[in-house]
Amino acid sequence: MKIESKVVKFILKRLVFIIPQLLGISLVAFFLIRLIPGNPAYLLLGSGANPESVAALSQRMGLDKPIIVQYFIFIKDIFRGDLGYSWFTSNPVLTDIIDRFPATLELITYSLIFIVLVALPVARATAIKGNKLTNKLVRGYGLMAGAFPDFWLALILIYIFYVKLKILPAPMGRLDLSIIPPERITGFYTIDSLIRLDFQAFLSSWTHLFMPVIALVIFNGGPILKMAQSTMLRVKKEEFIKFYGDNGMNPKRLDKYIYKNSLPPVITLIGFIYVYMLGGSVLVENIFGWGGLGQYAVQSIVNSDFAPLQAFIIVAATMSLVVYLVLDIVYYMIDPRIEI
Amino acid sequence: MKYKKLLYSKNPMLKRFISNSSVIIGGCIILPIILLAALAPVIAPHSPNQTFNGEYLVPPSKNHLFGTDTFGMDIFSRVLYAPRTDLMIAFFATLLGMICGVPLGLYVGFYENSKGIAGIFSLITMRIMDVIQAFPVFILGLAIVTATGQQISNVIYVLAFLWIPVFTRLIRTEVLSIRENLFIEQAKAIGNTDSKILFKHVLPNAVSPAITQVSVCIAASILLTAGLSFVGAGVRMPIPELGLMISVGAKNMITGQWWPSVFPGIILCVTIFGLSMLGEGISETLDPRNWR
Repeated sequence: MKIESKVVKFILKRLVFIIPQLLGISLVAFFLIRLIPGNPAYLLLGSGANPESVAALSQRMGLDKPIIVQYFIFIKDIFRGDLGYSWFTSNPVLTDIIDRFPATLELITYSLIFIVLVALPVARATAIKGNKLTNKLVRGYGLMAGAFPDFWLALILIYIFYVKLKILPAPMGRLDLSIIPPERITGFYTIDSLIRLDFQAFLSSWTHLFMPVIALVIFNGGPILKMAQSTMLRVKKEEFIKFYGDNGMNPKRLDKYIYKNSLPPVITLIGFIYVYMLGGSVLVENIFGWGGLGQYAVQSIVNSDFAPLQAFIIVAATMSLVVYLVLDIVYYMIDPRIEI
Repeated sequence: MKYKKLLYSKNPMLKRFISNSSVIIGGCIILPIILLAALAPVIAPHSPNQTFNGEYLVPPSKNHLFGTDTFGMDIFSRVLYAPRTDLMIAFFATLLGMICGVPLGLYVGFYENSKGIAGIFSLITMRIMDVIQAFPVFILGLAIVTATGQQISNVIYVLAFLWIPVFTRLIRTEVLSIRENLFIEQAKAIGNTDSKILFKHVLPNAVSPAITQVSVCIAASILLTAGLSFVGAGVRMPIPELGLMISVGAKNMITGQWWPSVFPGIILCVTIFGLSMLGEGISETLDPRNWR
């Protein structure tokens, strides 16, 4: 069979698994919110509401119907793109999420790109050319980095770069207050401002990105660096590499073989970290007033605003499933020996 | 003297364990922290919850070794007490996750692809685990703690709930290969019950990755607890807890008072680092590839 048709078959097979998983996610998101004590209608109207209006709203929200019926209504609404209203922002949740998603995506995507650009070359250099000392250093860093909680690192960075050195802007939002956000094209301020040739906004968005990205990179980069290095060291010792080496293969080409053969597990980890950061950047987002999805979720929890929380859980879980799927496909394309 | 005796002991596992550099470094970090936390009532100069009126945000000095926070509480005393809360939550959460996850993993691994109810149960369990793990850990934890109420016990349950799939998966993978061995077939042939086979023959062979996972889970639990408290969804004031202390000091950081956040953060980092080292060491000792 040709590789393309095999990949298509593989994707179809995985999609069959994803549908029940999505159902499971919606079930958890639905019942998790129902776990929270108190009538949502009552919470929505506030403690001063009279019983009639609570009853009226309950009926309008369908809360008087059996729970199974409520669940089907919930699913039907999702398919219509209706994720409910946030009483805190008084917007439809879908609008809020579309507004905020690029902020989070920009933050975690740049962090991930940065991690990959630093970790892989460093791992490659130390694993192939390095000695015992550099190997130990990398391993030690890998262990150490995961020990610095990102929210604490973020505070330290703020203290150094904003309070003491005064070279970076205050940790409030994605742009200086005086700068008008560039017109939305991708939602990434760094890209939109470049397209609009708005260099002030471009510079401002980068300086605001610096601290949160560094905090996320230090915390999340450690495991990737450590894993990449140890995998390369392992592959280096494998029989086929030894065989090629003994047969006098060009060392540069040999390096490339080692590198390519150690990529699959590293790519899996990179995917995991990306998904993890979607939820894990919440704390950093909060510190920097980032206005992304994570901050939205925390805000809604603090304000007992449950529709956005539900929506965030669904969006994040769905995105993680999608990333895992893409990961499996990439993995399969790199290493077609895998049978699913 | 005692250490030397252990070093020359006949038990090869103990010997490997005690002569592993990561274990020694990790142990040298973790043991003092546990000791300090245990002896906190003796060492701490003040009660952790005592507020000193008029002494708000005092920089580190002789009277207050690590300074005071916005409430006028002595940070040094609080930092001594705080690991108690964190370690306790992390330990019980991991223990509970393990107690639930390990038997589940044994069962699921042993009966996967078998006919009847057991096979169906295994399949459903694994799909449920998939779903739990698809959620962003932090947000799921945050949502459940908020839903169930902010008590230390609830934080423990939530973290345990998050670790169950981790242990189940680890054990299942091991069991899947162990169950194909001849000694299992033999144990079946001489008429052992399934539960006896599972606990006497499969479990001892499958448990080592789970043991390695313990210190990793404890470290991750501490990070999660601190993170939850940081956004106000974990432990509440005035309980001394590292994440909460960092969070209380976060606002002061921007105005230049670094001490309320920095000191608890350092303790947090050191603890996590020690636990990761220990975990690394344990996995090295348990890995037969390193036995020579």
